Amino acid sequence: MRKIVLPGDLISNNPKAAGYGTYVEGEKVYAKILGLLDETENSVKVIPLKGKYVPSIGDTVIGIVKEVTANGWNLDINSPYQAFLPLTENPEAKPGKKSNEILDLGDAVIAKVVNIDPRMRVTLTMKDKICRAIRFGRIVAINPARIPRVIGKKGSMIKLLKSELDVQIVAGQNGLIWLNGDRRKISIAEEAIYLIEEEAHTEGLTDRVAEFIRRRKECLDQKGS
Amino acid sequence: MTEDILSEIKKDYVLSKLRDGERIDGRKFDEFRKLEIKTGIISKAEGSAYVKLGNTQVVVGVKMQPGEPFPDVPDRGVIIVNAELVPLASPTFEPGPPDENSIELARVIDRGIRESEAVDLSKLCIEVGKKVWLTFIDIHALDDDGNLLDASAIASICALMNTIVPASRFGLGEDFCLPVNDIPVSVTSLIIGNKFLVDPTRDEMSVGERTITITVDRNDNIVAIQKSGDYLLSESLLEEIMDTSIRVSKKIREEILRQCSKACQ
Amino acid sequence: MPRPERFIIDGKRLDGRAPDQLRPIKIEVDYLKRADGSCYLEMGKNRVVAAVYGPREAHPRHIQDPTKAVIRYRYNMASFSVEERKRPGPDRRSIEISKVSKEAFEAVIMKELFPRSAIDIFVEVLQADAGSRTACINAASVALVDAGIPMKGILTSVAVAKVDGVLVLDPMKEEDNYGEADMPIAFLMRGGKIDSIALLQMDGRMTREEIREAIKLAKKGAMEIYQMQREAIMKKFVQEGEE
Repeated sequence: MRKIVLPGDLISNNPKAAGYGTYVEGEKVYAKILGLLDETENSVKVIPLKGKYVPSIGDTVIGIVKEVTANGWNLDINSPYQAFLPLTENPEAKPGKKSNEILDLGDAVIAKVVNIDPRMRVTLTMKDKICRAIRFGRIVAINPARIPRVIGKKGSMIKLLKSELDVQIVAGQNGLIWLNGDRRKISIAEEAIYLIEEEAHTEGLTDRVAEFIRRRKECLDQKGS
Repeated sequence: MTEDILSEIKKDYVLSKLRDGERIDGRKFDEFRKLEIKTGIISKAEGSAYVKLGNTQVVVGVKMQPGEPFPDVPDRGVIIVNAELVPLASPTFEPGPPDENSIELARVIDRGIRESEAVDLSKLCIEVGKKVWLTFIDIHALDDDGNLLDASAIASICALMNTIVPASRFGLGEDFCLPVNDIPVSVTSLIIGNKFLVDPTRDEMSVGERTITITVDRNDNIVAIQKSGDYLLSESLLEEIMDTSIRVSKKIREEILRQCSKACQ
Repeated sequence: MPRPERFIIDGKRLDGRAPDQLRPIKIEVDYLKRADGSCYLEMGKNRVVAAVYGPREAHPRHIQDPTKAVIRYRYNMASFSVEERKRPGPDRRSIEISKVSKEAFEAVIMKELFPRSAIDIFVEVLQADAGSRTACINAASVALVDAGIPMKGILTSVAVAKVDGVLVLDPMKEEDNYGEADMPIAFLMRGGKIDSIALLQMDGRMTREEIREAIKLAKKGAMEIYQMQREAIMKKFVQEGEE
C-alpha cells in the first residue's frame, strides 16, 4: 500500500521533483495535504484522500443550474466556486430562444471548463462531444478525490464498468457521475462506484470490483429479466 | 477605496527603506517615538491621563466605586479594563460593541497591570466577601497612528498613579491614594520577516498587522506576552525581541516617572 | 476550590504527574458527518469537538478577499462546560482566544489557493479543564487535515505554567488558577520536528531564562502530542484501506 503522508511531511530534497499536493521551501519538498505518496524517479506527488473540488481548465464537470441570466447560466459544480456557462457556449442556443427555454433552474449538464481567471471565476463550454444537457439517466455524487480511481489508470476502471454493465458513464472531475442505461444495471454500477469510493486506495480493487459486478449480475439473472 | 491604495503605496515605501536598514521616520529599530504625558485632565474621573506617542493620542479615565468581589478572591479589589476604539480615531474604526482588536488590547493591558501587581488589590477591600473597590480603567482612543496598545498602557498606568480612591463620597472614610507598586511597560514590535520595529506607526503597520507585545515590570520580569497576527515566529527572533523589549522598557519607565506627576506622594 | 498549600510534593504534582508529563489525550478523527473535516479530542478533562467547513463560498459577499480564502475561527464554550453555568455566546475571553487561534492557523493554511472563499473552523468546548484553548487548537489541526485543506504543516499546542517556582507542562486546573505564570504556545510541526511558533501568549511573572526553559519544555510536550495527532489520522485512513 502506498504511504500516507500528512501536511508538513518531508518527502524529497529535490525541489525539481515537486508535483501535485506538495510545496517547496528552502530546497526541500513537503506534502501540503493529507494523501498517498506517489514517488517516481524524478517526480514526487501526493494523491489527495479528501478535499473540495477546485476546477482546472480542461476538466469535465457535471453542473446544476442555480441561476438563469440573459446571457447564460450560473452552475453549482460542487465546488467552493460557481461556474458560468455563457449562452454562446451552448450548442442548443438559437436566436430568439430565451435562456430559460434552453436550460432552467435545476437542470443538469455535462460541460467542460474552458477558462479560469485569477479570481477563480470559472467559465464553461458545452462545445465538446462529451457535453450534453442531462435529460435522462442518473447522477451519482462521490468524494471528488476518488474520481481518478473511478476512472482508473488509462481509464481501466471506467472501461470495466462500461463493458461489464453495458451502461453509459461520464465521470465529472467534480465528483458527479452520469449513468445511463438499463435501470438495474445502473443500480449495480452505482453500488460499484460507492465500493470504489470506499476502497479507493487499496490494492487489487479492480479485481474486486469485477468480482462484485459478476456476482450482482448473477443475482439479476437468477431473478429473471 | 482610498485607504487601500494609500496602504499599498506606504507598504512599498516602508519595505524599500527597510532594505537600506532604515525606518521611514528615521528612527532606530528599537526607538520609541516622542512621548508626551498629561495627567489629571478629566476632573470627573478619579484618575486620568492623556498620552501622545508620536501622533497617536489616547485618553484613559479611571473610575472607582464599591462593588462585589469575585467569589474566589473575596478580599481583593477588582480591576476592569475596557478599550473603546471609537470611529473618530481612525477611518477604519466602526461604531458598535468592542471588536476583537479592542478586546485584545484591553485584555493585554489588564494582564500587564494585574500580573505585575501594579495595584495592590489587597488594600482595596472594604468588607471581606461583600464589598471591595472596583477600579474601572477605560481607554478611549482619539487618534490611531499606530501602537495604540503601548500608548494606552502608558496612559493606563499614569492614570492609576494619580488616582484618588473616592472613599468619602460613599461614606467609607477619607479619600486615599490608590496604592501603585509597579510600573509595567509594554513594548510592541512590528514583525517584518526576520526583523522587528519597536513602536510601529500606522504607515509601518501597512506592511501587515503582525506584532508581538512584551510587557515588563520594574524588575525586568516579563509579565505578559501577546503574539498578534498571522505569522510564524522563530525562537531566535523571540529571544532578540525579549532582550530589546526589556532594555527599551527601562527608558519608557524613566520617561513615565519624569512626566507622570503623582496625585499624592 | 481553595488554593493548595503546595503544588509539588516529592517531585510529583497534585495529580501525580511529573513536571514534564502530559495529561492523557484521546483523539478521534472524522467525528462529525456533516462537516468537511472534524475531530473529537480529550486532553485531561477537556472535551472538545472541532469542525471545519470549507473552502466554501464566503458569505456575505463583502467579506470575500479576491486574492485568498478568509479564515474564520470560533472558540466557544458550552454553558455546561464549566462549574458555574456560563451564559451562552461569546464573551471577551472567547473572542480573544478565537482571534489568536485564527491567526495561528492563518499563518499555516495556504489561503492563496482559494481566492474569494471561506474556511470556517468551529471548536466547541463541551467540558473545560485548564488548557482548553490548546486542546482546541490540537483538535482543529486534525480537523483541517481531515478536511483536505492544504497547509504548511500541522499545528500542535500545549501550555506551560509555573507553580512553586517550578515549570510544569500541560497545567491542570489548580495549577492554572493559582500558578505564578501561564504560557500557552502553538508550534508549526514540519519535517517531523518543531519549525516555528504560531501562537504565543503569557501572563504571570517570568524571567527571560524561565521563558526560554518553558519553551523547551513546551517543545517536548508538543512532540508527544504531534505523534498522537499523526497516529489518530493514520489510524483512520489505514483502517479504511484494510476493509
